[in-house]
Amino acid sequence: MVDDYIINTTDLCKSYGPHMALEGLNLKVEKGATGLLGPNGAGKSTFLKTILGLIQATSGEGTVLGHDIRTEGAAIRSRIGYMPEYEALNPDMDAIYQVRYSGELLGMNPVVAMSRAHEALQYVGLGEQRYRNIGSFSTGMKQATKLACAIIHDPELIIADEPSNGLDAVAREFMITTLQNTVKTGNRSVLMASHLMDDVERVCENIVLLHKGKLAAQGRIEDLKDIDREIEIHVWGGATKLEELMTKAGLTVRREGRIMRIQHMGEDTTNLILKCAAESGAQIRRMHEYEASLEDLFLVIMENLGYEVKTSEDLLRSPVQARQVDAPKSMGGGS
Amino acid sequence: MDSEDEVQAPAPISIELDSLDVSYDAQAPVKGQGRMDAAWGSSQGDEVNTAQVAPSKDTTGFIFEQVYQPWNGTLNPRWMRNWAILRHHVAGIFRKGHRPWSIPTRLFLVVVFIASLADVGLTLLSALIGSADLHSVWGVNRDNLYGHVLGFFPRNVLYFPIVAALLVGGVISEDRLHGTSALYFSRPINRFDYVMMKYLSVAIIQAMIVLLTLFLYYFAEIVSMGRGWAWIIDTFPLFLAAFAGGTLLIITYTSIGLGLSSVSKGKFFPGIGLIAIVLGSKTLAIIVSQLFDREILYLLSPYDCLAHVGQALIGTEPTYDQYSWTWSLASLVAMNALSLYVLSSRVSSMEVTRE
Repeated sequence: MVDDYIINTTDLCKSYGPHMALEGLNLKVEKGATGLLGPNGAGKSTFLKTILGLIQATSGEGTVLGHDIRTEGAAIRSRIGYMPEYEALNPDMDAIYQVRYSGELLGMNPVVAMSRAHEALQYVGLGEQRYRNIGSFSTGMKQATKLACAIIHDPELIIADEPSNGLDAVAREFMITTLQNTVKTGNRSVLMASHLMDDVERVCENIVLLHKGKLAAQGRIEDLKDIDREIEIHVWGGATKLEELMTKAGLTVRREGRIMRIQHMGEDTTNLILKCAAESGAQIRRMHEYEASLEDLFLVIMENLGYEVKTSEDLLRSPVQARQVDAPKSMGGGS
Repeated sequence: MDSEDEVQAPAPISIELDSLDVSYDAQAPVKGQGRMDAAWGSSQGDEVNTAQVAPSKDTTGFIFEQVYQPWNGTLNPRWMRNWAILRHHVAGIFRKGHRPWSIPTRLFLVVVFIASLADVGLTLLSALIGSADLHSVWGVNRDNLYGHVLGFFPRNVLYFPIVAALLVGGVISEDRLHGTSALYFSRPINRFDYVMMKYLSVAIIQAMIVLLTLFLYYFAEIVSMGRGWAWIIDTFPLFLAAFAGGTLLIITYTSIGLGLSSVSKGKFFPGIGLIAIVLGSKTLAIIVSQLFDREILYLLSPYDCLAHVGQALIGTEPTYDQYSWTWSLASLVAMNALSLYVLSSRVSSMEVTRE
């Protein structure tokens, strides 16, 4: 039977001694672009190594592009392109030869690999730089070279680990555009692990969120955003009274000064807000649906899981409180 | 407006300056108007006081157009991938585009190759001169075949250990250093193939120095002295024994060197480590032998074990009297096993995601 999912795992577990790196992972990743998210230690690297067939799962099953991750690791790695997060290029080689060699390592004929290396480097914007030594490349050019190495054999699935990590604005934009093109015009699938939510949101339609080795969330970004749908109102006069009335009416309100966000409870939420405002005599000067960003969604999910994650805004707003270490008290953390 | 008017090019822009009365004193600050006058000309001294600007004919174009090119080729099987690794390392000695061996390494290999051909040259010289005395010193015989491969000075002091050290230095450690291990292991290459091909690559380059020159030496004797089948049949076992001794030397130096390379991130430590093990253990054994008349420490010296086994294989006068050559062979096996164990365990722990 042909598998409709590019990645499909059932109760996938991986343990290192007593530590469970992956615990009962049930994933179904469809074709297209998918973001792999999770805080440090969530199990992203272990998951990638497991689906690449590089480490054996402790229990459970899984397929990548229809190949069993336990027994067909080599076949999987032939059909995917992996772009590692860290340095993975020989700085003493010219880009063209490095990309050609990466093709040869897949089993490409040297002549064909050279031809494809030209095309891949042209695609990633290094056409004019291909005979330059990699050691002289900027970080963005090195990332682009790694991407060229990954796509030389036109893989069906590209696994990009932090593709925009450490890039300046221009290089980051180019990398994101390139990945978008690969998905949209190239009709390839991308699994993108990244800490930069904006980048994931721009490239991917779906996300997989891991937390402590478990699946925290999975699905279309737009659908998941509905978890955190809110109505934002700007209030003038009687804000406290309005907040009290709305809370009494059963609405969940988050307030910061005159701005309040009310969790969407259903079709009547807007009417209920207006009714409360009329009763309290508060003026609502602005009301709109608040569209959560992926970062907001990430925070909400993490908070639900009892893990305090701080945004850069938090850190800037209240430096002393926010920068406290989220470690157990026994380890010197906590407040 | 009809469609023809729509597509018409815009008319040249004309700026009439007649009506402008522009005058400045010497101290007037140069502001926007002054710069405009400087660019377009002032009303004084201009014969034609109409500035014309040609309409731009440039159309929007692409300097870079990103087009994804699909590829419908077929990937070759395992042997082709392994060949790629082997080719990458070995061809890198000779030309650009493969593994970038350093210039000093390449130069040293050339020098050692030529130096290793010294006995070939001397054999040819003795044949040219026609001197039987010289030929008995330089020509192919049991001792000279042993000396070509396992002679201590200069070959196993200045040539082979240094060649091995230069070659093994970065072969695995640089994959850790640069993270290029990810390039291998994210491809359908297993750890065994990775190690085996790297091992073979280093061994083949050493074989060009040790075994190819041995063959040329033997061949030069046949050609220059006009040796017939009888001589060849008589001496070929000696050649094979020397060849086996050389192979053992290459295997041992490669195993120890790659073992050291696998525990390091640089090429300095493995290189120096190999030389230190080969020459240091030999020096220590000599000192103990001289002081206490005990040869047992030679069992810890890779070179001495090789020499002892080589002497037994080729049948030259043994220089190690206090124990059997089989002990040296056992010691060599143990050294290789330990090195290969370190190598395999370190390579199996190499990461694809982070080092």
